Amino acid sequence: MTPLPVSVITGFLGSGKTTLLSRLLRDPSFERTAVIINEFGAVGLDHLLVESSDETILTLEGGCVCCTVRGDLVRTAGDLLARRAAGTVTPFERIVIETSGLADPAPIVHALMTDRDIAEALRLESVITTVDAAAGAATLDAHPQSVKQAALADCIVVTKSDLCDPAEIAQRLQTLNPGAPKLTAVHGAVDATRLFSQPTHRVLPHGQVHGHDGIDSFCLRRETPLHAVTLGLFLQVVAEHCGARLLRLKGLVDVVESPGRPAVIHGVQHVFHPPAWLDAWPDDDRSTRIVVISQGLDAHWMQALLEVLEEEVKACSIS
Amino acid sequence: MLRDVLCGALRLWDVAGTVEADEDGLIVTVGRRALRVVSIPGSGLELRHADASIQDLTPLGVHAGVAGLLRHLRDELAPHAKRGRLIIGAQ
Repeated sequence: MTPLPVSVITGFLGSGKTTLLSRLLRDPSFERTAVIINEFGAVGLDHLLVESSDETILTLEGGCVCCTVRGDLVRTAGDLLARRAAGTVTPFERIVIETSGLADPAPIVHALMTDRDIAEALRLESVITTVDAAAGAATLDAHPQSVKQAALADCIVVTKSDLCDPAEIAQRLQTLNPGAPKLTAVHGAVDATRLFSQPTHRVLPHGQVHGHDGIDSFCLRRETPLHAVTLGLFLQVVAEHCGARLLRLKGLVDVVESPGRPAVIHGVQHVFHPPAWLDAWPDDDRSTRIVVISQGLDAHWMQALLEVLEEEVKACSIS
Repeated sequence: MLRDVLCGALRLWDVAGTVEADEDGLIVTVGRRALRVVSIPGSGLELRHADASIQDLTPLGVHAGVAGLLRHLRDELAPHAKRGRLIIGAQ
């Protein structure tokens, strides 16, 4: 069975998630979309605001999807898949999860990637974060959760651009998460094809370190290929020792054993997708590039770790 | 380069310590504890006590590489540090 794409729409309270979702569902290409909405308030309203009439809109109420109702999310997604297989629900081709405004997207992504009941049936497509052009800067200042939502995004949608020039917040978001494309929505309208078609190998070609909002992003580079074992060891050490400080890691890796076919690596905290292999390099740059978004990790340490591991693997290979 | 990795690891584990090089290898010191890391060709990285008052010369462990060495050092010097585990998702 081909895994169904699942996307997570997150963003702080009032940042325009429901408006964005509502507009997306009006797009003909999103007709066959099942929606799971998580609401934190005692009485859920968002599902009433999403204009759709079928039974593939489900709500998770009474808590935040990243903590108290995480099990409910897995059960709900599993139930949707079972009903789809049984033909008792409109056959959908994609699932979109709208989180509560207070959610940390990382545990949700982890559940989607690792829960044995659903992980093999679903393919995490993207994490989309809405940021309000008018109130976004103040929200980022006051609510660390909103910073994390933006830092973990595959794509950031700047909303309410009719109220405020989005350039300023877009610049801050560029520092916070340089690898994620920033789209601007007007009244929730955004080019859906750009929203859901972010190539997973889109990484940055620079090696600078930025510090903003307690989040750093940097790019590790290597001009010569790495052994596959080195890559595995590197991810293992990073996962074991960096803990929650590692928010996101994405990379294109030139692997000795796979000349001309780079590996795409992609992880949220300590949970990684299995490496995907591209048929060819996507651009002229053939160097390994690993983008890290973190809370206080040291770029120099990670680069040194990569080099030390490769040296020891090389020494073993030679001997 | 290994010294840089060990220094960075101490910072990651939130412990104040030093990593010094001498003719036999590296000495990692945290508080009163001092451990020596020696590279043994063909075997890997050996971890020993470096405190002269400890007469026991039995190695604390021998590791094939940095991954195991870091795990052992963390257990010895920063047992409070959080332990993560690499998880590869099904996708």
